[in-house]
Amino acid sequence: MGIHETPITPSKVPPIPPLATADRVSVGYDGRPILAEASFVLERGAFAGLLGSNGSGKSTLIKSLVGILPLCAGRFAFRTPDGHALVFGYVPQRESLDPVFPLSSLEVALMGVCGRLRPGRMLGRSQKTWARECLSQSGAGDLESKPFSQLSGGQKQRVLIARALVARPDLLVLDEPTAGVDPAATVAIVELLTRLHREQGLTILMVNHDLGVVRKTVQQVLWIHNGVLSQGPVEEMLSQARLEAILELRLQ
Amino acid sequence: MKGMNTLLEILNPGFVLRNSVLVTLLVGIVCPWIGVFLVLRRLVFLGVALPQISSAGIAFAFSLPLLGVMGHAHDGHFEGDERLLALLGGLGFTLVSLLFLAIMERRGKGLVEGRVGTFYALAGASSFLLLAKNPMGERGLLDLLRGEIIAVSDIDVRVTVAVFAFVGVTLKFFWKEFLFVSFDRDMALSLKKNVMLWDCLLFLLIGLTISVSVLSVGPMVTFGFLLIPPLIGHQFGRNMRQFALIASGVGGISALAGFCVAYRLDLPVGPTDVALMGCLYALSTLIKRVVVR
Repeated sequence: MGIHETPITPSKVPPIPPLATADRVSVGYDGRPILAEASFVLERGAFAGLLGSNGSGKSTLIKSLVGILPLCAGRFAFRTPDGHALVFGYVPQRESLDPVFPLSSLEVALMGVCGRLRPGRMLGRSQKTWARECLSQSGAGDLESKPFSQLSGGQKQRVLIARALVARPDLLVLDEPTAGVDPAATVAIVELLTRLHREQGLTILMVNHDLGVVRKTVQQVLWIHNGVLSQGPVEEMLSQARLEAILELRLQ
Repeated sequence: MKGMNTLLEILNPGFVLRNSVLVTLLVGIVCPWIGVFLVLRRLVFLGVALPQISSAGIAFAFSLPLLGVMGHAHDGHFEGDERLLALLGGLGFTLVSLLFLAIMERRGKGLVEGRVGTFYALAGASSFLLLAKNPMGERGLLDLLRGEIIAVSDIDVRVTVAVFAFVGVTLKFFWKEFLFVSFDRDMALSLKKNVMLWDCLLFLLIGLTISVSVLSVGPMVTFGFLLIPPLIGHQFGRNMRQFALIASGVGGISALAGFCVAYRLDLPVGPTDVALMGCLYALSTLIKRVVVR
């Protein structure tokens, strides 16, 4: 698929229907759009990165995608293989979570169960076992009894990814998972996401500022520039010519 | 030994103030449990203002005999239907204030603390203004404000037990939902949780707890139990279960110990409870610092 700007004009019909489609969506707050008429397609099993400058509407777009914010205009369409309602595994920016809550990492991970458990149902052994399994998958198995607020940035991110996995998501959506994290932890998080994508075929959409991380990990790039969302393969979207055009500089 | 004798005396079913002991103990256990959410949602100031607002609602109910709506309060205290009206007055004022504050917060204009502070001041002033011409009602309100937990009738106990049982059972059943929407509203929305509904239910429980507690033990004791035990629990709880258990435990023990001290030294029970909890908070902070070092 080549680079395209909204509206989408696909050259051919994909063999498998896309997992998520944004059709000329406008997103913002109180009915005032920050980003207007944006369209994109997320194929099942894709790993996509969402790029853009500060205030371009990246976080607003993914918050609207997962249902936190209402759309100003347009629509999202979701299609799962067996027709069930699409489940999001949303990983917010970790600074948005108040450290005043004395939650253990296991308690945080268990919140992922709430989407599938009816209100009033107690957490059983199977849910706890599953949460521990997801913590282990995320490399946070040894953190389960530690207070979440006392973890490092990288450790918190692993626990939040585990929590998203506990929900058994169709689409993992991460809001700047490597922001403010040291280089070693960044590498670990990137490796974790790559492994989840490769081994479990998980569809991932990740907001990220780090071009290096995006180049190494994702297959598709969605880039918001001057209020327009473009989508294309990573090699094309992050080519030198395109970067020069978008960043308005001459790369050495 | 004397302390133990006093404790055994007040726990004796034949003790003349057994209703007061029971109600204080219930308030001491349930208020901190619900207060956990006020601390976690950083609504401590609201925990101070709401009991005052609830007492304004009770003052409104006290003032009704003056308006000829209902019979006279007996010796400054309510009985039977009058008690129900007082409870409805306190609950009504609390819930309407919560609704108004929530709408204003959603609009995002002005200072939240400013609005809560204004409500607090207005509630205090209106309580006295409503009863300025009603000596019987004013006496009852002054008893409430002083934290005199002496004249607790059987119906007080029944209402308190019934309401707290409802609050306790609802909290226990929906603990994970309340915790989830309080900790990460965004993820709850992404998992299609009805966050507004859970918020409303939680604030209904907060309103009910405060209204019943204020009617039984007064606003000062209520906000003492709502806030101080959770603040102590927060220093030592390593997870939510420990936090809530420590808060309720400290509240219950303080209620009993405060009653013993007040009974032996002939002091008002409410202020003794709050002073004791204040000392425990200072002590726990000191212990925490020593342990951390």
